[in-house]
Amino acid sequence: MNVARGTHIAIREVSKEFGPKVALHSVTLDVEPGEFLVLLGPSGSGKTTLLRCLAGIERPTAGEISLNGNVVVGDRSFVSPEKRSLAMVFQDYALWPHLTVSNNVGYPLSRETKETRAQRVSDLLERVGISHLANRFPNELSGGEQQRVALARALAADVGLILFDEPLSNLDADRRELLRIEIATLTRDAGATAVYITHDQAEAFALADRIGVLNHGKLVQIGAPESIYRNPTNAFVTRFTGIAGEFPAQLREVKSDGTALVSLEFCPDHVVEGRVIGDIHDQLAFFVRAAGVSLSAASDENGIRGAIRDVAFNGRGYEHVVELASTAVLTKVFSSKRFERGENIKVHFDSSASFVMSPDRKQQ
Amino acid sequence: MSLLVKTHSAESETESKQALVPPPARRAATRGPRISLGGLTIWVVLALLIVAPVLSFVSLSVSPRLFSQGSQWFTLSFVRQAFSGYTGRGIIDSLWVSTLVALLGVSIATSLAWLVQRTNIGGRRLWRIAMWILLLMPTWMMTLGWTDLLQPFGVAHALGINTKWLYGEFFGPLGIVIVLTTAAMPFSYFVVSAGLQGIGPEFEDAARIHGAGRLKTLSTVLPMIAPALLSALAIAFAETMSDFGVAFTLGYHSHFPMATYTLFNAISTYPANFSVGAVIAAVLILSTIPPIALQSRVMRRRSYAVLSGRTRTVRRRTFQPVARGFATAGVALLFFIALGIPVIGAVVGSFVKDLGIYSEGGIHFSLTYYHQVFQPSIEGKSLWGPLGLSNRLGLLVATGTGLLAVVLARRLVTKVGGWSQRITDVFLLGSVAVPGVVLGVGYIFFYNLGWITHHVVDIYKTNTLLMIALVASSLPGQTRFMAGPVSQIQPSLSEAARVHGAGRFKAWQTTNLPLMSRVLLWGWLLTFTKTISELAIAQILYAPSQEPASVTIQAYLGNYEQGTGTAMTALTMLEMLAVIVIALTMFRLLTPKGWRRIGWSGIAS
Repeated sequence: MNVARGTHIAIREVSKEFGPKVALHSVTLDVEPGEFLVLLGPSGSGKTTLLRCLAGIERPTAGEISLNGNVVVGDRSFVSPEKRSLAMVFQDYALWPHLTVSNNVGYPLSRETKETRAQRVSDLLERVGISHLANRFPNELSGGEQQRVALARALAADVGLILFDEPLSNLDADRRELLRIEIATLTRDAGATAVYITHDQAEAFALADRIGVLNHGKLVQIGAPESIYRNPTNAFVTRFTGIAGEFPAQLREVKSDGTALVSLEFCPDHVVEGRVIGDIHDQLAFFVRAAGVSLSAASDENGIRGAIRDVAFNGRGYEHVVELASTAVLTKVFSSKRFERGENIKVHFDSSASFVMSPDRKQQ
Repeated sequence: MSLLVKTHSAESETESKQALVPPPARRAATRGPRISLGGLTIWVVLALLIVAPVLSFVSLSVSPRLFSQGSQWFTLSFVRQAFSGYTGRGIIDSLWVSTLVALLGVSIATSLAWLVQRTNIGGRRLWRIAMWILLLMPTWMMTLGWTDLLQPFGVAHALGINTKWLYGEFFGPLGIVIVLTTAAMPFSYFVVSAGLQGIGPEFEDAARIHGAGRLKTLSTVLPMIAPALLSALAIAFAETMSDFGVAFTLGYHSHFPMATYTLFNAISTYPANFSVGAVIAAVLILSTIPPIALQSRVMRRRSYAVLSGRTRTVRRRTFQPVARGFATAGVALLFFIALGIPVIGAVVGSFVKDLGIYSEGGIHFSLTYYHQVFQPSIEGKSLWGPLGLSNRLGLLVATGTGLLAVVLARRLVTKVGGWSQRITDVFLLGSVAVPGVVLGVGYIFFYNLGWITHHVVDIYKTNTLLMIALVASSLPGQTRFMAGPVSQIQPSLSEAARVHGAGRFKAWQTTNLPLMSRVLLWGWLLTFTKTISELAIAQILYAPSQEPASVTIQAYLGNYEQGTGTAMTALTMLEMLAVIVIALTMFRLLTPKGWRRIGWSGIAS
């Protein structure tokens, strides 16, 4: 791995407005050379806008962006995309329909000699496994093949920064998994810095060295995948990175180790424990990750009473939907044992995967 | 300090990363709403090309003193004058003929589009080509072909067919409606075809699966092409209202006045009555507002976006052999009437000796009229000089219009959403409805104003003014013609080129140009041929002793030299066809394969 070849990115107070709409609000962020950063957020969170500002396709309304210490967006400067020495894989692949696969991949190599270009294109097509499609046109390829061409074109440029704009969103589940691995491997082999945007938290956790979570144009949290998962900063990040359930709660006791005991509104007699996130407010909610829920038989003395509403086999075991009360439902509850629909059970929460915090819906 | 650090003190990793961040950079100056230089340039160009000449001329209808054409600042007397007598009849005739032609043209074109697009009817490619030829053929050429065929001792007589019973009928509303309906068909056909292509079989399947019978399915799916039908109706109505070729030839000879001719007449007879002409011009423009407004309203209120990556190829209805034979014969008959008769009339007529004149020795075929093209009977009026001028004008106008139309089309389809874009859109839509005759008269008036010739530009009575007027006349239509294909090009294609090292021009040249090449070529050919055969503006604005071909041909026809005029028309048609064939062949031979296999499909669509 050639980490030294990656580009260092410095984004300072970058904002972008489209008329009255604020797409990016004062985002500040550093990406180390060779790092694989995933920007995670829902639609409209500003992740695509940030990526396009990095590429030079959009011009920020305010702020500064530097690549390897060179200011590409600043007070009076704006470096056009072709001079930023980067490559990009587009959501719709953006393959030029009038060019063959070879010519698409060779496009960034227009300054090379014909022989060098042909050799490099051939090597890249070999690497992404589509050398037999070199003379085809894009519309003669499947979605996965088109994605490989787009990836090969991005690698062809041999640059220090590759941007990925939700490149797997148009593929089916099997191809997505396969190409995700290829993107991770090939990009890291190339030693380039990667900025990858997605709204799929599983994809983000699988790919990233670090994840930046965006919401309403603001960078609300950045850190390693484990850190984001274990230490979310607020209710939005917690929800967006996957929970089994969220229930209104009353505070009973705050402990010295940063956890709190709360009673759940739908079951006031039962006290559960979770880590406190942020300030304690009057309105609190108890959040639990799917990994923090376990099921046992109804005869179990401990646990909260519930009933199985639905069950789905997922290969490794069973995912259950559990009804705890008319307004309290848990989803994605895994068990290697199958519980039948309508069956009464007991539910247990693991405090290490549970949180107590303000449910602040305004963040959504 | 970043928001992240404020929200969660436990985020040690985040803090350590963010701690490396130096103090915030100065904010770049926030860019507020502003008028771009490009936008301003476009508006200045459009103002000089279309807005100023047309508005200043039309303003004379109620305020002749505004431009020293009378003593009143405001009067309605010219409105009353325009709506009475000969001019009033012209307005009424134009309105009812245009309404009838729009309904007939769209009905026939819709049936034809359905047969060609959605059934296995024979000769589909031939019908598409025929439709393109119809589109390129000016109405005065069609009229000439019909006249040559039907007139006493004309082509039909030469071929031994008695058409006396039809001659009187043709020189009246019937002939006018026939010619204008055939001229209105191509626009409607292409618009409706595009609409039909977007409706994949899934919509019909969904209706059938959910219990709809054949009729119910049709009534469910047909409204999906409502925008196309309304567009077709609006365009057909506007085109018919603004047609000059039929009004100047068939209308005049049939004593059936139409508004475009009465307008021409008002300003070309002595003394010229610009104010009455201006009222007629205003009526011509205003009459197109209701259909266009209706279309815009329908388009705005509902979404008809049916094309997507999931749209499947259309499934053709398979006719049984007998039904297929009948349908094919019906379409062949239609094209024989629309295209065959005028072409046969004009081409055969150019070889009939003493065309339209009783000859004791019977009918003979000869090349006499072609000899007269070389040795003109009217002094100094050979075809070659005018045809050369028309070609030079065609070349310049088609190229200039093409370049401007690409810029405007890009501006129209770019979703910047500003007021400037919306006004440009509405303005261009409206400008399609400005008849050539109105533009020509507007130019005569505006570019002859004293302060314009002394302080701005002095191009009155020059070929430059004629060329600019022809560009202005073609520009709105060309822009809308290109807007569709331009909007189909994903912005990410040029963005990808920019990101991968191409400059602005190279990105456009290597990604957009190939995809637009066919629409550019067809747009160019359309403007080129329309310019060569254009009559209204050429007749009004030609520079002294420098006539374009269409004016020279009309001079021969007006001088009762039908045969020579017809031979000149046939040679002009031949030249136009030759240019089309050469251009398409060169495109096929010189462009890479990729350019020809994707993007707007031109004649195949």
